[in-house]
Amino acid sequence: MIASVAVKPILENPSLLPSPHLLRIRDLVYQVSGIFHPDHQLAFLEERCQRRATELRLTNLRDYLDLLTAQANRQNELIALLHEMTVGETCFFRNAAQLEALRRVVLPKIVEERNTLPVRRLKIWSAGCSTGEEAYTLAILLLEESKELLAGWDIEIQATDLSMRSVAHARRGIYGESATRNLPPEIRRKYFVEEEGGLSINQHVRTRVNLQQLSLLDDSRMTFMKGIDIIFCCHVLIYFDGAAKHSVIQHFRNSLLAPGYLFLGSTESLLGNSEDFRLIHLPSTTAYRKTDHSREKRLT
Amino acid sequence: MIQLSREQIVKKLESVENMPSIPATLEPLLRYLSLPVDQLETQKVVDMIAHDKSLTVQCLHLANSPLFCRWQAVDSLRGAVVALGLGRMKEVALACSFMQMLPRQIGGIDPIIFWEHSLGCALVSRHLARKLNLPDAEKAYLAGLLHDFGIIANFVILPKESGEVLGSARAREIPLHEAELEILGMTHADSGRILGERWRLAPELVSVIAHHHNPEQAKNNRSLVALVNLADLLCRMRNLGYGYPERRLVDLASEKGFAVLAEDCPAVDGFDWARLTFELDNYMFEVHRLVAALYRIQ
Repeated sequence: MIASVAVKPILENPSLLPSPHLLRIRDLVYQVSGIFHPDHQLAFLEERCQRRATELRLTNLRDYLDLLTAQANRQNELIALLHEMTVGETCFFRNAAQLEALRRVVLPKIVEERNTLPVRRLKIWSAGCSTGEEAYTLAILLLEESKELLAGWDIEIQATDLSMRSVAHARRGIYGESATRNLPPEIRRKYFVEEEGGLSINQHVRTRVNLQQLSLLDDSRMTFMKGIDIIFCCHVLIYFDGAAKHSVIQHFRNSLLAPGYLFLGSTESLLGNSEDFRLIHLPSTTAYRKTDHSREKRLT
Repeated sequence: MIQLSREQIVKKLESVENMPSIPATLEPLLRYLSLPVDQLETQKVVDMIAHDKSLTVQCLHLANSPLFCRWQAVDSLRGAVVALGLGRMKEVALACSFMQMLPRQIGGIDPIIFWEHSLGCALVSRHLARKLNLPDAEKAYLAGLLHDFGIIANFVILPKESGEVLGSARAREIPLHEAELEILGMTHADSGRILGERWRLAPELVSVIAHHHNPEQAKNNRSLVALVNLADLLCRMRNLGYGYPERRLVDLASEKGFAVLAEDCPAVDGFDWARLTFELDNYMFEVHRLVAALYRIQ
């Protein structure tokens, strides 16, 4: 008979549990931006909150939470916080689950649905493309698929960003170690050329990507974004408040063909702005699909 | 190639000698735990659990997991029983029985992956029940834990055929029950129902086991069945399935389980399913760690 067995308790130090203030900040960030920080990112969130708090001469997380709770400061401070968390994050082949879902589920679905049509054209829009890593990744992925699944299809990547500087960087197309850290060796060999200052995207990929400076709030220019099959817009909507965000999402809907797909960040949701889109689940990731009928049930 | 007809498979499942049974050491405990919770004595439960080393260690691991009692560290069996609560002892004992039944390696199924899916589904079912304010979230937990009971039955009784089914589902990246239907002419939901009835599991649990892939056909406890149906689907789409990704697109609002759950629970329509999906990732690490720890002691 065994009265007790020694098992090392996992929670020997209850002080390691996340503070309630940090969990409130996580909720607040989600409610306003739609970006959720899972438990394994909490330490990172806390570190960035502490950094922001120090910058604002606040002494602890509780004071920082109070600042975020005050309506007047919320939007600007949340943008500053989320910017801290995402800055420098971009690189080639960053979101493996999204890319795999695109390649193995979404593209075959589009091909199947369009197979009978005379024009076979696929257009993806990287909205808020920053320095171009995502747009070029998508171009490479589609070029790889053009051997079989997309054989005979016209492929085009539209890439836009508000910052002229970022667009200029993307046009130069030369990337350092950090941006290229995830490149599989065969992709590196096939689509990049070594140059002074890093790896340069080759001409074959460049010709597939159309880079432009564009504000997603520029109604007149946004109406020209038409005939898109898939939009990637990762961690960009955080920069807009309620009405502006709603307007951008409506533009996205109008730009997309049916059934159009919208990919956000890996743990980013549309919250209440989803009248035009339905949440879909793909292997290990989520995305949105343009709604066809107003009577359909909606999920956020 | 499967040589048996559906009728032969059912006959095999129904024959007493082939049927897996509750481990002898746990039977008296499970009988005792069937009494109403207010009639149970903590010390008696502790003494009965202590007869089974594997169950003892499992209680201690669970009591120390943040998934259950994240506010305290427990180092004695009595402390673990108190921390987990007498009401939860039956589910712990049942889970332990199933773990002891499932062979460590038969026909390509990895028991660790199977239990990770079951525990993940249990946790998501409980989480979803709480978020939707459904009564008895603990019942949802147990239903989630046991929903794939029939897979154990299939692997014990039809190891070769079940291995072939899993191989086919994995190769084509399709749901396991679809491959079962194609190859065996029946699914683990059918065998689970037969085994659940033989084990005299509560009728609502048998209903979940029998209909978690077709909740619209459930006659009883439809919302519980639908809840587990959606939790199971979310786990499988979030890399907590049977060890392979299912290559498909799921529109949750078009699922039959969604419509069934919405009949009893209107909150389903406005519910934040995206956040629930992201929260699921919080369970991953602890589910992997806990199941690995529990399996080391079997």
